[in-house]
Amino acid sequence: MSGDNVDAKVAPNSKNISLPVSRVKLIMKSSPDVSNINQDALFLTTKATELFVQHLARSSFKNGSGKKNTLSYSDLANAAEAMENFQFLTDILPKKILARDYLKTLEDRQEEDEI
Amino acid sequence: MASSSGNDDDLTIPRAAINKMIKETLPNVRVANDARELVVNCCTEFIHLISSEANEICNKSEKKTISPEHVINALESLGFGSYIAEVKDVLQECKTVALKRRKASSRLENLGIPEEELLRQQQELFAKARQQQAELAQQEWLQMQQAAQQAQLEAASASAAQQASSSQDEDEEDDM
Repeated sequence: MSGDNVDAKVAPNSKNISLPVSRVKLIMKSSPDVSNINQDALFLTTKATELFVQHLARSSFKNGSGKKNTLSYSDLANAAEAMENFQFLTDILPKKILARDYLKTLEDRQEEDEI
Repeated sequence: MASSSGNDDDLTIPRAAINKMIKETLPNVRVANDARELVVNCCTEFIHLISSEANEICNKSEKKTISPEHVINALESLGFGSYIAEVKDVLQECKTVALKRRKASSRLENLGIPEEELLRQQQELFAKARQQQAELAQQEWLQMQQAAQQAQLEAASASAAQQASSSQDEDEEDDM
Protein backbone atom coordinates (compact mmCIF):
# COMPACT_ATOMS: atom_id res chain seq x y z
CA MET A 1 0.00 0.00 0.00
CA SER A 2 1.41 3.36 -0.84
CA GLY A 3 2.48 5.80 1.80
CA ASP A 4 2.57 4.04 5.11
CA ASN A 5 3.58 7.31 6.67
CA VAL A 6 0.14 7.53 8.21
CA ASP A 7 0.83 4.98 10.87
CA ALA A 8 -1.10 6.96 13.42
CA LYS A 9 -4.28 5.45 14.65
CA VAL A 10 -6.27 8.44 13.56
CA ALA A 11 -5.96 10.44 10.39
CA PRO A 12 -3.52 13.25 11.09
CA ASN A 13 -4.76 16.82 11.25
CA SER A 14 -8.27 15.64 10.64
CA LYS A 15 -10.98 16.51 13.07
CA ASN A 16 -13.44 14.61 10.94
CA ILE A 17 -12.27 11.08 11.49
CA SER A 18 -12.37 9.42 14.88
CA LEU A 19 -12.07 5.74 14.01
CA PRO A 20 -8.57 4.26 13.85
CA VAL A 21 -7.55 4.22 10.20
CA SER A 22 -4.91 1.54 10.70
CA ARG A 23 -7.49 -0.87 12.07
CA VAL A 24 -9.84 -0.21 9.18
CA LYS A 25 -6.95 -0.96 6.85
CA LEU A 26 -6.35 -4.31 8.55
CA ILE A 27 -9.98 -5.26 8.25
CA MET A 28 -10.13 -4.27 4.60
CA LYS A 29 -7.05 -6.30 3.83
CA SER A 30 -8.55 -9.35 5.49
CA SER A 31 -11.31 -9.29 2.89
CA PRO A 32 -10.71 -11.95 0.26
CA ASP A 33 -9.06 -10.75 -2.93
CA VAL A 34 -8.60 -7.19 -1.76
CA SER A 35 -5.09 -6.19 -2.65
CA ASN A 36 -4.03 -2.56 -2.72
CA ILE A 37 -5.88 0.35 -1.28
CA ASN A 38 -5.06 3.97 -1.98
CA GLN A 39 -4.47 5.99 1.18
CA ASP A 40 -7.26 8.44 0.43
CA ALA A 41 -9.62 5.58 -0.35
CA LEU A 42 -8.79 4.25 3.10
CA PHE A 43 -9.77 7.53 4.72
CA LEU A 44 -12.99 7.54 2.75
CA THR A 45 -13.86 4.05 3.91
CA THR A 46 -13.13 4.99 7.50
CA LYS A 47 -15.37 8.01 7.25
CA ALA A 48 -18.11 5.96 5.60
CA THR A 49 -17.89 3.46 8.46
CA GLU A 50 -18.32 6.25 10.96
CA LEU A 51 -21.37 7.50 9.13
CA PHE A 52 -22.68 3.97 9.11
CA VAL A 53 -22.36 3.64 12.88
CA GLN A 54 -24.20 6.91 13.37
CA HIS A 55 -26.84 5.90 10.86
CA LEU A 56 -27.36 2.49 12.43
CA ALA A 57 -27.54 3.88 15.95
CA ARG A 58 -29.96 6.64 15.04
CA SER A 59 -32.27 4.45 12.96
CA SER A 60 -32.35 1.70 15.54
CA PHE A 61 -33.18 4.16 18.25
CA LYS A 62 -35.90 5.81 16.21
CA ASN A 63 -37.60 2.50 15.40
CA GLY A 64 -36.92 1.44 18.93
CA SER A 65 -38.91 -0.67 21.29
CA GLY A 66 -40.28 2.46 22.84
CA LYS A 67 -38.41 2.19 26.11
CA LYS A 68 -37.26 5.70 26.64
CA ASN A 69 -33.60 6.39 26.28
CA THR A 70 -32.42 2.85 25.87
CA LEU A 71 -31.06 1.08 22.86
CA SER A 72 -31.24 -2.67 22.99
CA TYR A 73 -29.91 -5.52 20.95
CA SER A 74 -33.33 -6.21 19.49
CA ASP A 75 -33.67 -2.57 18.42
CA LEU A 76 -30.62 -3.06 16.27
CA ALA A 77 -31.74 -6.42 14.98
CA ASN A 78 -35.11 -5.00 14.02
CA ALA A 79 -33.54 -2.05 12.23
CA ALA A 80 -31.28 -4.43 10.30
CA GLU A 81 -34.27 -6.37 9.06
CA ALA A 82 -36.42 -3.36 8.36
CA MET A 83 -34.03 -1.29 6.34
CA GLU A 84 -32.97 -2.34 2.89
CA ASN A 85 -29.47 -0.95 3.26
CA PHE A 86 -28.90 -2.96 6.37
CA GLN A 87 -29.91 -6.32 4.95
CA PHE A 88 -26.31 -7.42 4.81
CA LEU A 89 -26.32 -7.42 8.60
CA THR A 90 -28.87 -10.17 8.90
CA ASP A 91 -26.07 -12.59 8.18
CA ILE A 92 -24.35 -11.92 11.45
CA LEU A 93 -27.40 -11.50 13.61
CA PRO A 94 -28.59 -15.07 13.96
CA LYS A 95 -25.14 -16.17 15.03
CA LYS A 96 -25.24 -13.84 17.98
CA ILE A 97 -27.50 -15.86 20.15
CA LEU A 98 -27.74 -14.49 23.62
CA ALA A 99 -26.45 -16.90 26.18
CA ARG A 100 -29.60 -16.71 28.21
CA ASP A 101 -31.72 -17.47 25.17
CA TYR A 102 -29.60 -20.47 24.38
CA LEU A 103 -29.80 -21.72 27.92
CA LYS A 104 -33.56 -21.26 27.81
CA THR A 105 -33.70 -23.30 24.62
CA LEU A 106 -31.76 -26.03 26.38
CA GLU A 107 -34.09 -25.89 29.34
CA ASP A 108 -37.13 -26.10 27.11
CA ARG A 109 -35.68 -29.11 25.36
CA GLN A 110 -34.93 -30.76 28.66
CA GLU A 111 -38.47 -30.21 29.81
CA GLU A 112 -39.77 -31.77 26.61
CA ASP A 113 -37.58 -34.81 27.17
CA GLU A 114 -38.81 -35.22 30.69
CA ILE A 115 -42.44 -35.25 29.69
CA MET B 1 -8.81 -6.80 18.45
CA ALA B 2 -6.19 -8.71 16.51
CA SER B 3 -5.63 -11.86 18.49
CA SER B 4 -2.34 -13.67 18.63
CA SER B 5 -3.89 -16.63 16.87
CA GLY B 6 -3.97 -14.43 13.79
CA ASN B 7 -7.59 -15.12 13.04
CA ASP B 8 -8.68 -12.42 10.63
CA ASP B 9 -12.27 -12.69 11.71
CA ASP B 10 -11.35 -11.36 15.12
CA LEU B 11 -10.35 -8.02 13.70
CA THR B 12 -12.73 -5.36 14.84
CA ILE B 13 -12.80 -1.67 15.52
CA PRO B 14 -11.82 -0.98 19.13
CA ARG B 15 -14.80 -1.02 21.43
CA ALA B 16 -13.87 2.33 22.97
CA ALA B 17 -14.03 4.10 19.62
CA ILE B 18 -17.49 2.68 18.94
CA ASN B 19 -18.72 3.56 22.42
CA LYS B 20 -17.56 7.10 21.95
CA MET B 21 -19.35 7.40 18.63
CA ILE B 22 -22.57 5.97 19.98
CA LYS B 23 -22.39 8.37 22.90
CA GLU B 24 -21.90 11.32 20.59
CA THR B 25 -24.71 10.20 18.29
CA LEU B 26 -27.18 9.27 21.01
CA PRO B 27 -26.36 11.32 24.06
CA ASN B 28 -28.27 10.42 27.20
CA VAL B 29 -29.27 7.06 25.77
CA ARG B 30 -28.43 3.92 27.66
CA VAL B 31 -27.12 1.28 25.33
CA ALA B 32 -27.08 -2.37 26.30
CA ASN B 33 -23.73 -4.09 26.24
CA ASP B 34 -24.77 -6.72 23.76
CA ALA B 35 -26.07 -3.95 21.52
CA ARG B 36 -22.65 -2.29 21.61
CA GLU B 37 -21.02 -5.57 20.76
CA LEU B 38 -23.39 -5.92 17.85
CA VAL B 39 -22.50 -2.47 16.53
CA VAL B 40 -18.81 -3.37 16.67
CA ASN B 41 -19.45 -6.44 14.56
CA CYS B 42 -21.73 -4.56 12.17
CA CYS B 43 -18.84 -2.19 11.58
CA THR B 44 -16.56 -4.98 10.52
CA GLU B 45 -19.26 -6.34 8.30
CA PHE B 46 -19.79 -2.95 6.72
CA ILE B 47 -16.09 -2.53 6.00
CA HIS B 48 -15.98 -5.93 4.33
CA LEU B 49 -19.05 -5.03 2.30
CA ILE B 50 -17.57 -1.78 1.04
CA SER B 51 -14.15 -3.33 0.45
CA SER B 52 -15.51 -6.19 -1.63
CA GLU B 53 -17.72 -3.94 -3.70
CA ALA B 54 -15.00 -1.37 -4.22
CA ASN B 55 -12.58 -4.14 -5.08
CA GLU B 56 -14.92 -5.50 -7.74
CA ILE B 57 -15.36 -2.05 -9.22
CA CYS B 58 -11.59 -1.65 -9.13
CA ASN B 59 -11.00 -4.93 -10.94
CA LYS B 60 -13.45 -3.92 -13.66
CA SER B 61 -11.62 -0.66 -14.12
CA GLU B 62 -8.38 -2.57 -14.70
CA LYS B 63 -6.63 -0.52 -12.08
CA LYS B 64 -4.56 -2.26 -9.45
CA THR B 65 -5.29 -0.03 -6.51
CA ILE B 66 -8.66 0.77 -5.00
CA SER B 67 -9.12 4.49 -5.42
CA PRO B 68 -11.45 6.97 -3.70
CA GLU B 69 -13.59 6.89 -6.83
CA HIS B 70 -14.11 3.15 -6.47
CA VAL B 71 -15.15 3.54 -2.85
CA ILE B 72 -17.63 6.26 -3.74
CA ASN B 73 -19.16 4.15 -6.49
CA ALA B 74 -19.37 1.22 -4.09
CA LEU B 75 -21.28 3.33 -1.60
CA GLU B 76 -23.67 4.38 -4.33
CA SER B 77 -24.35 0.89 -5.62
CA LEU B 78 -24.86 -0.50 -2.12
CA GLY B 79 -27.48 2.10 -1.28
CA PHE B 80 -25.31 4.32 0.88
CA GLY B 81 -25.40 7.23 -1.52
CA SER B 82 -26.43 9.51 1.30
CA TYR B 83 -22.95 9.15 2.77
CA ILE B 84 -21.20 10.38 -0.34
CA ALA B 85 -21.41 14.11 0.30
CA GLU B 86 -19.74 13.94 3.70
CA VAL B 87 -17.26 11.38 2.52
CA LYS B 88 -16.22 13.70 -0.29
CA ASP B 89 -15.51 16.39 2.29
CA VAL B 90 -12.92 14.09 3.82
CA LEU B 91 -11.35 13.63 0.42
CA GLN B 92 -11.08 17.38 0.04
CA GLU B 93 -9.49 17.66 3.44
CA CYS B 94 -6.97 14.94 2.59
CA LYS B 95 -5.89 16.91 -0.44
CA THR B 96 -5.62 20.11 1.59
CA VAL B 97 -3.53 18.41 4.26
CA ALA B 98 -1.24 16.90 1.66
CA LEU B 99 -0.85 20.27 0.00
CA LYS B 100 -0.05 21.99 3.30
CA ARG B 101 2.54 19.36 4.07
CA ARG B 102 4.27 19.85 0.75
CA LYS B 103 4.25 23.64 1.21
CA ALA B 104 5.61 23.33 4.72
CA SER B 105 8.53 21.17 3.72
CA SER B 106 9.53 23.44 0.85
CA ARG B 107 9.17 26.52 3.05
CA LEU B 108 11.55 24.98 5.53
CA GLU B 109 14.14 24.44 2.82
CA ASN B 110 13.87 28.07 1.75
CA LEU B 111 14.07 29.59 5.22
CA GLY B 112 17.46 28.05 5.69
CA ILE B 113 20.58 29.58 4.23
CA PRO B 114 21.27 28.46 0.67
CA GLU B 115 23.97 25.90 0.18
CA GLU B 116 26.54 28.16 -1.52
CA GLU B 117 26.40 30.61 1.35
CA LEU B 118 26.83 27.81 3.85
CA LEU B 119 29.84 26.57 1.90
CA ARG B 120 31.35 30.02 1.85
CA GLN B 121 30.91 30.40 5.59
CA GLN B 122 32.53 27.06 6.10
CA GLN B 123 35.56 28.02 4.04
CA GLU B 124 35.86 31.23 6.01
CA LEU B 125 35.86 29.36 9.26
CA PHE B 126 38.51 26.97 7.99
CA ALA B 127 40.71 29.85 6.85
CA LYS B 128 40.36 31.52 10.21
CA ALA B 129 41.26 28.36 11.99
CA ARG B 130 44.31 27.83 9.83
CA GLN B 131 45.44 31.37 10.50
CA GLN B 132 45.03 30.95 14.23
CA GLN B 133 47.04 27.76 14.09
CA ALA B 134 49.78 29.48 12.14
CA GLU B 135 49.95 32.36 14.59
CA LEU B 136 50.09 29.98 17.49
CA ALA B 137 52.90 28.03 15.88
CA GLN B 138 54.82 31.21 15.17
CA GLN B 139 54.47 32.36 18.76
CA GLU B 140 55.81 29.10 20.03
CA TRP B 141 58.73 29.33 17.61
CA LEU B 142 59.55 32.83 18.77
CA GLN B 143 59.39 31.77 22.38
CA MET B 144 61.71 28.90 21.65
CA GLN B 145 64.12 31.22 19.89
CA GLN B 146 64.06 33.68 22.73
CA ALA B 147 64.65 30.94 25.20
CA ALA B 148 67.54 29.66 23.14
CA GLN B 149 69.04 33.12 22.87
CA GLN B 150 68.64 33.63 26.55
CA ALA B 151 70.41 30.39 27.20
CA GLN B 152 73.22 31.37 24.87
CA LEU B 153 73.64 34.71 26.58
CA GLU B 154 73.78 33.17 29.95
CA ALA B 155 76.28 30.62 28.80
CA ALA B 156 78.38 33.35 27.21
CA SER B 157 78.44 35.55 30.28
CA ALA B 158 79.22 32.62 32.45
CA SER B 159 82.25 31.67 30.40
CA ALA B 160 83.23 35.32 30.14
CA ALA B 161 83.18 35.59 33.89
CA GLN B 162 85.30 32.50 34.16
CA GLN B 163 87.81 33.85 31.67
CA ALA B 164 87.99 37.09 33.54
CA SER B 165 88.77 35.40 36.79
CA SER B 166 91.35 33.10 35.22
CA SER B 167 93.18 36.02 33.54
CA GLN B 168 93.23 37.79 36.84
CA ASP B 169 94.95 34.81 38.23
CA GLU B 170 97.52 35.06 35.49
CA ASP B 171 98.11 38.70 36.32
CA GLU B 172 98.57 37.88 39.87
CA GLU B 173 101.08 35.26 38.90
CA ASP B 174 103.03 37.80 36.91
CA ASP B 175 103.27 40.08 39.81
CA MET B 176 104.91 37.54 41.96
